Amino acid sequence: MELLDNLALGFSVAFSLQNLTYALLGCLLGTLIGVLPGIGPVATIAMLLPITFHLPPTASLIMLAGIYYGAAYGGSTTSILVNLPGEASSVVTCLDGYQMARNGRAGAALSISAVGSFFAGTVGTVIIVLFAEPLTRMAQKFGPADYCSLMALGLVAAVILASGSVVKAIAMIFLGLLFGLVGTDVNTGAQRFTFDIPELSDGIDFAPIAMGLFGIAEIVVNLERHLTRTGGTIKVTSLWPTMEEVRRAVPAALRGTFLGAALGVLPGGGPTLGAFSSYTLEKKISKNPGQFGKGAVEGVAAPEAANNAAAQTSFIPMLTLGIPSNAVMALMVGAMIIQGIQPGPEVMTKKPDLFWGMIASMWIGNAMLVIINLPMIGIWVKLLTVPYRFLAPAILLFCCIGAYSLQNSTFHVMQVAIFGILGYVFVKLGCEGAPFLLGLVLGPQMEEYFRRAMLLSRGDAMVFLQRPISLGLLITTGVLLLLMALPSFKRARKEAFVEEEG
Amino acid sequence: MNRFLSKDFLSGLMFIGFGLIALYFGQKLAIGTPVRMGPGYVPRMLSLILIGLGILVCIVAIVSGSEPVERLKWKPITLVTIGIICFGLLFERAGLIPALVVLIMISSLAGEEFKFMEVIGNIVVLSVLCTLVFKVGLGMNINVLHGVW
Repeated sequence: MELLDNLALGFSVAFSLQNLTYALLGCLLGTLIGVLPGIGPVATIAMLLPITFHLPPTASLIMLAGIYYGAAYGGSTTSILVNLPGEASSVVTCLDGYQMARNGRAGAALSISAVGSFFAGTVGTVIIVLFAEPLTRMAQKFGPADYCSLMALGLVAAVILASGSVVKAIAMIFLGLLFGLVGTDVNTGAQRFTFDIPELSDGIDFAPIAMGLFGIAEIVVNLERHLTRTGGTIKVTSLWPTMEEVRRAVPAALRGTFLGAALGVLPGGGPTLGAFSSYTLEKKISKNPGQFGKGAVEGVAAPEAANNAAAQTSFIPMLTLGIPSNAVMALMVGAMIIQGIQPGPEVMTKKPDLFWGMIASMWIGNAMLVIINLPMIGIWVKLLTVPYRFLAPAILLFCCIGAYSLQNSTFHVMQVAIFGILGYVFVKLGCEGAPFLLGLVLGPQMEEYFRRAMLLSRGDAMVFLQRPISLGLLITTGVLLLLMALPSFKRARKEAFVEEEG
Repeated sequence: MNRFLSKDFLSGLMFIGFGLIALYFGQKLAIGTPVRMGPGYVPRMLSLILIGLGILVCIVAIVSGSEPVERLKWKPITLVTIGIICFGLLFERAGLIPALVVLIMISSLAGEEFKFMEVIGNIVVLSVLCTLVFKVGLGMNINVLHGVW
């Protein structure tokens, strides 16, 4: 019954006029930016972070969550209509979604994807509710050493998702951790790597880094590539799928939902992994796999449901343990820290209204998105026709004003410029930004736990192996690292990413 | 020569570079003991690991080769960076509109097409929009035009 009480509390928070408005605003803005081609959810959230900083914590997180789903839905729309995925997790949707659109079934593809996503989002929310309490209770037993090992596991698991060299991705984590150290040392008050710049004594602000690395770098790369649209925009006629399409989509969406939900909980998991796995699954069990890539309904329904379910359940490790499993969750953790909330098990016990309110608003946000996306599809299609040469300067402008508004300081604008260059270098060298961001966000906490664990054990590093929880987590980390070095696993990983590009 | 201009080799150098910079600027920070770590303990540990990984990346790149770096296009990244810096310099001194005009002008040059009238149109639309949203709507404490509003 406690569960129902919690949910009731959540819905009472989420249904307040203020929070409903911010959820709607978040969904609208997220969709708006998300449908713009070439801009994924990470860049969208990074760009819109400053808007939410001045809101109360609950409203700001509700709005950010709305932006995230909105961007994800928008990404599906662009995948289906113009074959331009905004993000890795909707790459698979392009394969069959765009083909369906070319066969004149654009409306059906859109509505199957939206309704499938909504269903998956609902299931995902229920799973969060069921898992949140036990996981939080478990996390409260964690000591500093356990936390440190848990973070190590989270960081290593995130590497699986990075395409390209594993060693490089691990190095990016360490680079992120190092950047996270900039600022005043909490234990001694010593200034570290601040170069006597007063603005740096609180650490490098997280928002300008995210904006520079993801927003600016993405725009520059798009400008270089002469982002052009493939063919004309497709007309959306009827949104109604045929009975045959529904019959094929429903079981696929169900399978996608559960596979996605399961993969989303894993550290390092998330929407991309969910979408790819469920597409592969559908292809394997299908009676006529030859249809895939030519507009198979299952190929749209399953990955769309899976990526949304995973998007939901990837909140679980973030909300209960404070461990972000992907770049988007790292941004959410950053936003929480800026709001003065330390993510972790305490959030649920100390701020139940925020915790349950956010979960309830996730479901509301998903419902809003179906409404925003289906009847209003015409507006979004129009937006797709705005040329990039208008959009790029406008996005830059909003990033600059946003960065300035963080603390009314032009220093942040300059930081955006610097991290834009760094992000560009990362792209050119094939270094993934996500592990860097995770390292950056977890760095300060990880150091804190590490130092505390070592203090408690009187400087004996064996403490990490003596505590059973910590040992288990470290063994898992080690196994993951070994797996990634195995040739067969390497090949499978490579294949997954080849499909992504193809 | 191609071996050294590959993506992986250069990334390795970048990691080593960042590690060395952190070591150099962190050398004054006290290391302390494992029980009572000074502010320099973790930074030094991380820098050394980063340098080690960088060397590993470099060796792997030389032994098994990697993709060559794509040809850089200097125009977009340079112009976008200059645009943002100009915005930062102008925003407080001259106000929103001048900073906006300069940023849009410079960043529009970074694209493949530059049509003067379109850029002017974009500037007008964005000026009105930003003024309405940020100054009037959100009530941000910013100058639209320094000394005027």
